[in-house]
Amino acid sequence: MTHYVILEGVIAFFLIAGGAFAFIGSLGMTHLRDFYMRLHGPTKSTTIGIGCILIASMLYFWVTEGKPDIQELLITLFLFITAPVTAHLLAKTGLHLRLEHVEKTRGHPVELRREEVGEKPVPHPDKGHG
Amino acid sequence: MTLAWIPLLTLLGVLIPVPMERFGRRLCTLATATPVVIALILVLSQLPMLLSGGLPHFSLTWIPSLGLDLAFRLDGLSLLFAVLILGIGLLIILYASYYLSAEEASGRFYAYLMLFMTSMIGIVMADNLILLWIFWELTSLSSFLLIGFWSHWTDARKGARMAMTVTGAGGLALLAGLLLLGDMAGSFDMGTVLASGEAIVADDRYPIMLVLVLLGAFTKSAQFPFHFWLPHAMAAPTPVSAYLHSATMVKAGIFLMARLHPAIGDSLLWSWLVTLTGMATFLYGAWFALVKTDLKAILAFSTVSHLGLITALLGIGSPMAIVAALFHILNHAAFKGAMFMNAGIIDHETGTRELDQLGALRHAMPMTALVTMIAAAAMAGVPFLNGFLSKEMFFAETLYTPLLGGLGWLLPMLATLGGILSVAYSLRLVHAVFFKPARRQPPKTPHEPPRLMRAPAMLLVMICIAVGLFPALLATGILELASTAVLESVPELHLAIWHGVNLPLLMSLIAIIAGVATYGLHIHLKRFVRQFAPIDARLVFEGAIQTIASIAHTLTRRLDNGSLQRYMSWLLGGALLLATLGLVQLPRLDGGQATHPVDGILLLGAALMIFGAIGTVVSHRHRLISLLMLSVVGLVVSLTFARFSAPDLALTQLSVEVVTMILLMLALFFLPQKTPRESSAKRNIRDLTLAGSLGMVIASLNYAVLTRDIDSISNFFVENSVPGGGGHNVVNVILVDFRGFDTLGEITVLALAGLAIYKLLNRLRLFMPHSDGEGRVWSPDRYPMILTSVSQTLLPLALLVSAFIFLRGHNQPGGGFIAGLITAVALILIYMARGVEWTQSHLDFPYQPVAIGGVAVATLTGLGSFVFGYPFLTSAFGHFHLPWLGDFELATAMLFDLGVYLAVVGATLMILANLGKVTTPHRPRKDDSRAGTQQPQPSSKEPR
Repeated sequence: MTHYVILEGVIAFFLIAGGAFAFIGSLGMTHLRDFYMRLHGPTKSTTIGIGCILIASMLYFWVTEGKPDIQELLITLFLFITAPVTAHLLAKTGLHLRLEHVEKTRGHPVELRREEVGEKPVPHPDKGHG
Repeated sequence: MTLAWIPLLTLLGVLIPVPMERFGRRLCTLATATPVVIALILVLSQLPMLLSGGLPHFSLTWIPSLGLDLAFRLDGLSLLFAVLILGIGLLIILYASYYLSAEEASGRFYAYLMLFMTSMIGIVMADNLILLWIFWELTSLSSFLLIGFWSHWTDARKGARMAMTVTGAGGLALLAGLLLLGDMAGSFDMGTVLASGEAIVADDRYPIMLVLVLLGAFTKSAQFPFHFWLPHAMAAPTPVSAYLHSATMVKAGIFLMARLHPAIGDSLLWSWLVTLTGMATFLYGAWFALVKTDLKAILAFSTVSHLGLITALLGIGSPMAIVAALFHILNHAAFKGAMFMNAGIIDHETGTRELDQLGALRHAMPMTALVTMIAAAAMAGVPFLNGFLSKEMFFAETLYTPLLGGLGWLLPMLATLGGILSVAYSLRLVHAVFFKPARRQPPKTPHEPPRLMRAPAMLLVMICIAVGLFPALLATGILELASTAVLESVPELHLAIWHGVNLPLLMSLIAIIAGVATYGLHIHLKRFVRQFAPIDARLVFEGAIQTIASIAHTLTRRLDNGSLQRYMSWLLGGALLLATLGLVQLPRLDGGQATHPVDGILLLGAALMIFGAIGTVVSHRHRLISLLMLSVVGLVVSLTFARFSAPDLALTQLSVEVVTMILLMLALFFLPQKTPRESSAKRNIRDLTLAGSLGMVIASLNYAVLTRDIDSISNFFVENSVPGGGGHNVVNVILVDFRGFDTLGEITVLALAGLAIYKLLNRLRLFMPHSDGEGRVWSPDRYPMILTSVSQTLLPLALLVSAFIFLRGHNQPGGGFIAGLITAVALILIYMARGVEWTQSHLDFPYQPVAIGGVAVATLTGLGSFVFGYPFLTSAFGHFHLPWLGDFELATAMLFDLGVYLAVVGATLMILANLGKVTTPHRPRKDDSRAGTQQPQPSSKEPR
């Protein structure tokens, strides 16, 4: 009996933690001040949040149905694969587009070589068209 | 069965000449003639049975639901024509082997000729109206090939096209007429139709049917006013003219009228239409034969004239007239065939057919001159030759017919006039070619042709003389036999040269004397004719064709103006109209069925979808945002499927969504980055109104359908999925089993679309912007390392998933289609991460064979059921037990699904990878040495 109570507690903890992380992540996406900061919200915090909820779900169905189900684990795995890739690509895009950033954002696009940023803006050939 | 062999033999004969051509002209001719000889013997072997009153008959059911049987008969009429077709065909084969020059493709010529012969034999032997029509159209087609044999010559092409158009249009009218006729008789069987003549004539639709059938017959037999194609068809090689335009094809219309005479010929309308058309053609053709100067044109118009004569006889329709018509068919085939062959010889030996350049040829080619003179005399109706006999019969019939009542004297008068003209043009032809000195030198010095080239014409002329001298002995038998097929009781025939002094003889005499006189006054006639501006039928015809084409063009341009918005508005407007009409007829919208309660998730989903749709429209000038909005709609749709227990559809929708998005991104790359504002306010309002009303109508329609009890076929599928298809996944069983044929069609279309896109993109060089809308050049870091490594790691996993989805497809959500899409998406990810070059050097196989192989696997699976004696695409399934693995189920549907899988993977990748290849600046070029051997060159024509 007691381990049910303990498990309930664990599941509840993961649910609450997941909700909190997801909320913080979403909040960060709307309230942080520049692109590079906002990127952290959905890619890190929300991913953790959803991971927590998935673990909670897995535990819950393990307890109620009596056998472990690895579907949630798989989902978590794929989520953890896609999130960093997405974040990386988005950050690269942001650097390439030279998005403006506030003073507090540390670091500059130093890892990009000079020629990668596009020194001379070339007028678009379709300009006259539109 | 013997009967079926006759057309079959000539059909097989089509295959002989081309491979035999390499063994020399002589052997090729012999080999081609062999099946014809056998067929002729087979035809004659039926003679005893016919004479004893039997009717040789062969029948094989073909498409019973259409009333179409493969049925042949050989009554007297068929026999007469079959002997004519095969016999003269033989002579033509012999003649053509000398006529065609050494470098001309005699094999191809003979193949066309045999095809034509088959279709003619088919017409005269068909025992089914529809079968007859099929062969009828085949003659149009094969004659097109024959007339246009010298396809490098524009006159030949135009003449062939004109003949094809006129006879083809007549053929369509004939089809309509024959369908009506079959409907009136209650059967398409020839025997039944011929026996129900009274019912047919009494039917209300008789006049329409008659006109349609006669249109077919008149166009084929070049009756006025459809005669104009025949003179232009003279651009054909002369053997073709001799065969098609004197002996056989133009007689097909005559044959049809004779064949159907018992069924449709017993009415006043028939007599009027056919007789008057025939008489008009008779005179018209004779007149133009007199004024033309081209040797073959003269013969062409004379043919038109003689066809008119036969038609008029069929129109008069008395028993003796029918016999006379059949007799004249035989006689005309003999003398006109000889005339054409000699015209060909003259053309061949002198290099010209213009009367101006010909003359006094009797010295250079005495034998040809003699033969031509006899044939021309037969044509003119000189006594002791066959033409005289049938022409005299014609004169007699015009005298005694009750047609035209009080104006009855008009017919014999016109007939005599035609006779005068035909004597005049025959005389003119002979005199101008052989006696009168030539005004100009012909291009070649004339001399006699080889003996065997003369032989066919000589044989025909001998027949002319023999029949003319001993008509009772030679012609009575076959004429009686042939007329039994047309007439109930055959009149007693008294074919003789001398019937005593009577009116027809007098008419013949007048015709000959006045004809000679007319030729004497020929110069004055010519002067008279010159007053009229000449009408070139070809110009008129081409003009008419051009006018029709330009009208069609204008109409098409109105409808098809290149504006996608216009097409969409037509389509949606049409749908709106139809749906509105349907909805208005409903008594009330609500069907009474209880609705599901609405919960928060559903509302949220609906709101998201609406938001996405509106967002797509609003942001349409910012294409990336618009695209993202569109994908929101797609994702919610797939969630909706999942929610309403359609996991298969949800999976499919998800994969399709991914592929679509990538495809759109690739396509957008080539479009202008900024779209100008194009729509005016007026147009916006129009579009809004259309879209809004369509949305409302569709919503109402959905509501109306969903609240009603539906008794659909889906219950059947649900119940029979396991017992009938051996699978628990109903959707998959429907796809691969119940509706397998549809799926086969769909994957074929998919593979074809993929191939078409591959072909379109091949060598395509599009403008590629090197920077985005704001003028930033693309980042040179094309393949980010993280994405590259992750996608490569994921590939085996994704392939495993797709294999899993594929295998479980028959019983659980999944199947070949989804698995194919998943594989395709996984491979596309590699393409995106590593670029086309790297991927293609590692995935070294082209996708075209994959797609085609998929379709082939599916088709072969379907065909496999034939081996076990089941219809196409029957599936089999069974439960098997294997040690270690346990019980499992196998269905042939799985194999079919494999085909679907392969087709989907192949087609999708063919489209995306090729479009991607165009996008990359590293696309392989012709001079790109880096491409090496591993890369499929888009420029190479052969699919690897």
